[in-house]
Amino acid sequence: MKRILPDLLISPDSFFSARMKEPQDLKIPGIIVIIGAVIAAVGSYLISGIYAGMFAAAGGEGMATLMGVVGGISAFFGFIIVWWLIFAGIFYLLSMVFSGNGTFRRTLEHVGYGLVPVIIGSCLSLLVSLSYLPMIEIPVITNIQDPAAIQRMMSLILEDPAYLEFTRVTSLISVIFLAWSANLWIFGIRHARALTVKSALVVVLVPVVLYSIAVLALAFGVITFPGGFT
Amino acid sequence: MKPAFFGLFCLLLICLVLAPAGAVQDAGNAAAAQVTVSQVSLDPGVFFEGDMGVITVEVINNGVQSVAIRRATMYDTDISVISSSYETTTTLGAGNRMTFSFTVRADVPPGLYYPSFSLDFRDAGYLRYPVQLRVENNPLEVSILDKPDVYGSGRKDRIDIMVGNPRANPVSSVIIHFRGEALDPTPSSYFIGTLDPGQARKLSFNITPEKETILNIVAEYKNGINARSATVSLPVRFGESKRQADLILSNIVIVHKDGSYSLTGDVTNVGLEVANSVVLSAGAGTEPVNPYREYVVGSLQPDDFSSFEITFLAEDSSPIEVVMKYRDMDGNPFSRSTPVTMPQKSTGREDASGIAAPVIAVILLSSALIGGAIWYSWKKR
Repeated sequence: MKRILPDLLISPDSFFSARMKEPQDLKIPGIIVIIGAVIAAVGSYLISGIYAGMFAAAGGEGMATLMGVVGGISAFFGFIIVWWLIFAGIFYLLSMVFSGNGTFRRTLEHVGYGLVPVIIGSCLSLLVSLSYLPMIEIPVITNIQDPAAIQRMMSLILEDPAYLEFTRVTSLISVIFLAWSANLWIFGIRHARALTVKSALVVVLVPVVLYSIAVLALAFGVITFPGGFT
Repeated sequence: MKPAFFGLFCLLLICLVLAPAGAVQDAGNAAAAQVTVSQVSLDPGVFFEGDMGVITVEVINNGVQSVAIRRATMYDTDISVISSSYETTTTLGAGNRMTFSFTVRADVPPGLYYPSFSLDFRDAGYLRYPVQLRVENNPLEVSILDKPDVYGSGRKDRIDIMVGNPRANPVSSVIIHFRGEALDPTPSSYFIGTLDPGQARKLSFNITPEKETILNIVAEYKNGINARSATVSLPVRFGESKRQADLILSNIVIVHKDGSYSLTGDVTNVGLEVANSVVLSAGAGTEPVNPYREYVVGSLQPDDFSSFEITFLAEDSSPIEVVMKYRDMDGNPFSRSTPVTMPQKSTGREDASGIAAPVIAVILLSSALIGGAIWYSWKKR
């Protein structure tokens, strides 16, 4: 493990080349993904505190705790599903266009390794969130039965300058570190699916760039959520 | 008998016959002269115009002989004598007294009148005695000594009055009534009894008006047997007293913490009367929460102040109201609301103006490191 990280981050081509000589093993990638999922869960729990505080007056402290726990669990499994399974699935499917050859298990293994920069970025985002979240003013909903009031309060949070800045900074960090992960995935998918470098670039960069554009567009208000939320 | 002697005889005879009669007449006059009016009383002592009353005349026989009385009467051209004369012949014994009462009505303007009492003797002339009868129209005087400048709906206020008798005679059965719509006076009436001439009685009562109206203070009394009244009207108008306690808020600070707002400030009594049982709470647009759902200040003297804190929930930054409840010295409740504008949520918004330099540095450093790592990874490939 001591040698794995430097090789993975600095010399991914040789790292994944070496991995191809080893039997398929999801243990270490699984641990990496679990670590990332835990960090995502912690981050989600902290952010859920904003909404939990908003509903605390109407639903009580029990509801606040419940929202935090549900948010954490959702983020935990969401990280595993989105960042590992879905990204690996997309890479696997796209690589089929370029006549990729290799098992999905090997793709999963390499995608898992490639998530290390994303996890580093998540840690950084978590630290940033610790400084930003206390600055966010949380309005209070006293009547949970009033959808208009909830909508208004949600808008207040989403329009809060501290929240907006927090979203933009974490999105930037996420995209920057995603670029690093994408670099790892290019080499990982190339070896896992026996692709050319050019094909691997297309397979990885198309979904990653689209995802990054979507994240940045949402963070900077270029596109909006349905219902008016920016 | 010669005619001269006959004439002399007749004259003598007449003298013999008439001499005793003259002696009796002289004796009667002498006895009647001893009858005098010993006492005269009027009830009422002073009449109102239109009043009915009784004049009582007492006569006494100061002589040593009885005096026969044939008739006693009262008459006057202005004063109406309602009762009949005493027509029965009677005798007033030596040293005895006899009383004659006459009912009269004073249908005359104010002034002095002298109806005459006449006592006719059987064996002598008569006794005439003018009785002085005063007619005045000045009623009882009701004065407002103290009253609130303005009244409040449902507020108990005290009024001090004085009832005086400016007449020259006492009046009896004086009762003060407080009349008006929705006034709830306490006491409902006040019994004074007899008020002597020049006498005054101070009394206090409370009213609790429910609406603006007119308070009639009615002094009912009797002048002799005649019922009379005097009324003073007092408008009851609602408003704010110039002296009442007046609470104002200052030094207001609103802090948002842990999902609720904490409002601190000072409450000062700028009125001239003490404010008791002062309690502050958050009003419309808020939902009070612990620990300071309400804040009890207690008693605030004029020019005194106290700090307070209330905690509440508010959905947005719309204006809220701080409700101050207090009581005056009589326990009348007062309530006053002061609008307070919620401040802009400052903490995050002001501090979040632009991305912090350390964050920018972290982003740039990360970008540089990652760019270097990517460049290196491709170079080494």
